Amino acid sequence: MNMPLAPTTPVISDEEFAKFCEFFYRKTGIMFDTQKKYFAERRITDRMARLGCATFREYFATIRFEASGEEMQRLVNQMTVNETYFFREDYQLKALVAGILPDLAARRRKGQPIRIWSVPCSSGEEPYSLAIYILENWADADRHDIEILASDIDSAILAAAAAGVYTERSLQRLSPDLIRRYFTRQKDNGYRISDDIRGSIDFSQGNVVDPPFMRTFRGVDVIFCRNMLIYFDDQSRRETVEAMYDCLSPGGYICLGHSESMSRISSLFRPRKYADSIIYQKPFE
Amino acid sequence: MALVRRTAASVAGLERDGALRGQEQWLADLASNDTSIRRQAAQALSRMPDAVAGICAHLANERSLSVRSIILTGLIVHKSPAVVRGLLPLLGSEDANLRNGAIEALQQMPDEVAPHVEAMLADPDSDVRIFAVDVLSALPHPMVPEWLRRVVTLDPHVNVCAAALDALAEAGQPEVIPALEKLADRFSDVAFIQFAVDAAIRRIRGR
Repeated sequence: MNMPLAPTTPVISDEEFAKFCEFFYRKTGIMFDTQKKYFAERRITDRMARLGCATFREYFATIRFEASGEEMQRLVNQMTVNETYFFREDYQLKALVAGILPDLAARRRKGQPIRIWSVPCSSGEEPYSLAIYILENWADADRHDIEILASDIDSAILAAAAAGVYTERSLQRLSPDLIRRYFTRQKDNGYRISDDIRGSIDFSQGNVVDPPFMRTFRGVDVIFCRNMLIYFDDQSRRETVEAMYDCLSPGGYICLGHSESMSRISSLFRPRKYADSIIYQKPFE
Repeated sequence: MALVRRTAASVAGLERDGALRGQEQWLADLASNDTSIRRQAAQALSRMPDAVAGICAHLANERSLSVRSIILTGLIVHKSPAVVRGLLPLLGSEDANLRNGAIEALQQMPDEVAPHVEAMLADPDSDVRIFAVDVLSALPHPMVPEWLRRVVTLDPHVNVCAAALDALAEAGQPEVIPALEKLADRFSDVAFIQFAVDAAIRRIRGR
């Protein structure tokens, strides 16, 4: 039960908040400035109330010394807001067409497809966004074969992705012209993505921590893996990144979510900056 | 062509089927000049707990960062006393990447590391003791504050104490403050320690 905080709600001092921020940043790569103190403090005090911690010190000891890391993960879940919609974090889509695809195309053998993998693809907004954005913004799109793969562990959400029907809210970042050209309005006010786009995505169900599933992905050029690893424990995160390393071609790229940083997971990848985005590249070794 | 759907033919084949290969064959593959073969062998061996000694022995000589990385990931998954015994000697390695990899791996094995902490902190090499403190600095174990308190109380080397002081600023509870004040007295001629003790006490008190 979500208990309301008592009038004696514990207060986190500035010094304690600074300590928390350093620790949280080291563990997750998420940084809170003083302007976000209220946001973070509310979530911390909520977790403290749920655990019955009378002081921040007591709560901090829990997240710092708990070997399982369970409470830390619950706190991370509270601190991260995950919502999916078309063209979300589109600065990475800009990086894709401005830097990544030209780089890949320059290294391509004739007839060799460019393979992009969206995982987890959730209800499909990301892989469909990739398709639309590439078609609309990469002048060389017609000169290359581009495969877009999309996977998720959840078969129900994957079925929704394959159906490709969205609410107006999901499409809020798209111009009326794009909506008109790529979607058909449904009787129930939903919007269905065009069959051409829908048919071009290869959907598959599977778990990124399952080695046989991961071995079915080889020669991938770009992995969009946004806002998933942050919900994993350290070990699973590390194993997943190792598996993705093997999925990628030499010189292939991984795009993580805005609050995620590869440097906290693995030193295998080289950070590259394209269009104000940090993308991680597998070495050519 | 633009968007095309992946076909079965375009899916790269699976790697060599490892089901029929034994541990000895995989260990032999670790000597290959081909990085991809060594990485695949390391991956296969990471599923074989009995191979820990062989993998750790190889790790010290492995030059490829990607092979090292997958070996360390496999060792973290196993997190056994044998893994810790295999990793501890790497704290003395001159190779910073290898040493840091070992430190990060050990930080994820609190219960297995705990029995070795006393010996780690008693190493005659002060650099190794600093790296031992680095392990403690992110080790999720309730004894960490006490281990660090002993370092600031007993260790004769100022840099080892400074590393422990830094870690205590995050992990320390108010009970450790008297030990920090004594540390400031012990190194009263080291301005940095005076500053760091003040900062750590402020951080521990939360004000």
